[in-house]
Amino acid sequence: MVVPLEHVIGLSAILFTIGTVGALTRRNLVVILMSIELMLNAVNLSLVGFSRAFGEVDGHVFVLMVITVAAAEVAVGLGIVISLFRNRDSVNVEDVSLLKW
Amino acid sequence: MVTSTSLVNPSVLAPFGVVATGSLVVLLLEVLVGKRQSFLGRPVTREFVGTLLSGVSSIFLFIALIVAAQFFATMPGRIVFDPAHPMVAMDRLTAFATILVCIGSIFTCWLASTYLDELRIHHGEFYALLLLASSGMVLLVQSVDLVTLFMGIELMSIPIYALAGFARRDLRSNESALKYFLVGSFTSAILLYGMALLYGATGSTDFVQIRQAFDASNLLAIAGLGLLVVGFAFKVAAVPFHQWAPDVYEGAPTAVTSYMAVAVKVSAFVALLRIAIQAFGPMDARLSDLFWVLSAASIVVGNVMAVIQENVKRMLAYSSIANAGYILIGLAVGTEEAYAAVLFFLLVYLFMNVGAFAVVITLATGGKDRDRYEDYAGLSRTRPTLAALLTLFVVAQAGLPGTGGFIAKFILFSAALKQGFVWLPVIAILGSAVSFYYYLRLPVLMYTRDPEGAAPRMETSTGEGLVLCTCAVAVLLLGLFPAAGPGFLSHFRALEWVRETVALLG
Repeated sequence: MVVPLEHVIGLSAILFTIGTVGALTRRNLVVILMSIELMLNAVNLSLVGFSRAFGEVDGHVFVLMVITVAAAEVAVGLGIVISLFRNRDSVNVEDVSLLKW
Repeated sequence: MVTSTSLVNPSVLAPFGVVATGSLVVLLLEVLVGKRQSFLGRPVTREFVGTLLSGVSSIFLFIALIVAAQFFATMPGRIVFDPAHPMVAMDRLTAFATILVCIGSIFTCWLASTYLDELRIHHGEFYALLLLASSGMVLLVQSVDLVTLFMGIELMSIPIYALAGFARRDLRSNESALKYFLVGSFTSAILLYGMALLYGATGSTDFVQIRQAFDASNLLAIAGLGLLVVGFAFKVAAVPFHQWAPDVYEGAPTAVTSYMAVAVKVSAFVALLRIAIQAFGPMDARLSDLFWVLSAASIVVGNVMAVIQENVKRMLAYSSIANAGYILIGLAVGTEEAYAAVLFFLLVYLFMNVGAFAVVITLATGGKDRDRYEDYAGLSRTRPTLAALLTLFVVAQAGLPGTGGFIAKFILFSAALKQGFVWLPVIAILGSAVSFYYYLRLPVLMYTRDPEGAAPRMETSTGEGLVLCTCAVAVLLLGLFPAAGPGFLSHFRALEWVRETVALLG
């Protein structure tokens, strides 16, 4: 049975929304990082879906690039979170408030 | 340089390759030299390693600059990596942007060397990260495909997240890196979703094919375009997507701030320009409305918020938001003349902004920035030359006649008026009038008040001196060049090669 394109795109849109809401509302930095990863993977899902519907490999190649980039990004992000944790003993975004206005 | 029709053309990637190689060489050199007692007959100290790496990085950037200039001077048209799947292209627009990026990065190398010593954070990785980010920018300005565009943006952004937090023990630098990272990666996800939708709507990732297949009645395509523009608006810090910029600019080490304010903005705008021309030509009217709103909001909010700042770096951050607003005018107008004016604006913006930040950097001492307004009181007595230079740079940003800033604004606004856009130039001129208040506050403080507090650093290093001189000469030359107006533009020849580029894009 072939999963119709609409379902793939719908699922991807739902996942992307969950990720967006998570990134905007959660207060724990690690959870925010996970939400951003969820957004990226939602995009990957729709890229694969489109690519399969077109019968091309462009989208698949794109997905490989995105996975690589996401790994690099999360490595740097965790590094930043760790250096912040060392100085502050907290991973809560509300404690990060030295710079305002 | 013959345009090949069937073979892959690797020379397109020459500037990118040089810069990327440079970053690896610098990384290795730090490990190899750092462990030795002496190198080339000199004892190895932290300062020595820093100066050496700064020199090596600027050599690589300079080679890339020469290669790009070579392309710029001899380019018959446009060459792409692989005619069947263009991915990256080299034309005059790209070469010009690459030159700007290289100049901005070389300035950062020269400024960073002494500044990082003063802040006691001199590590060799700085230059490796800087070169990596620059290679990302070069890739970004030459990409003609969504895949390379995304790679370029990420290769540019990820090293800069690390650079913003380079002062690891400084809480404000930590915070700046964290904010930039969170906003940047969130933005990348949005941008990427836009790209995925565009791919879904048009069946291709190539700009030209997207243009051919773009159907404005397709909801998917419109949503994709919208998300793409929002993503770029975040990257260039246009209102209402600007909140991160002042915090990040204030917290990051000043050398990094100047790099973010200049090189990132230049490359993001050139990429946006290319997308607007090449991929979404048919969408002109609606896209133009979008840019209109972003532009007006940025000019108003940027200038008004800059007035109430007490920190010079924050003020410069808001002023760079306002400048993004001026540049967006050119995109909203969308004629060849306006695009040429945008490129000229970016050129002037590079010099006047780096100049202003260079003065802030040159004053930093004792592990701290001197970035509050009070720190500038009486500077004309303690550091008269720096006071004069800072006056020149802020006056140029305000757009006083006789400086490059005036010419840049003048040709941009006149291109808008010519196309029947009246309100945008009016808003922009009112905004510039407001900007006089916060820019001229600095000269007033420097020349009318007595020095107070700790003395600033009294010596200027060679690198800082070079940057300051180059920027000052460039701002004055670009301002005093033959009469302004269309005659000037044709002298600059920007119009000619913008037309050439636009013609090649179709």
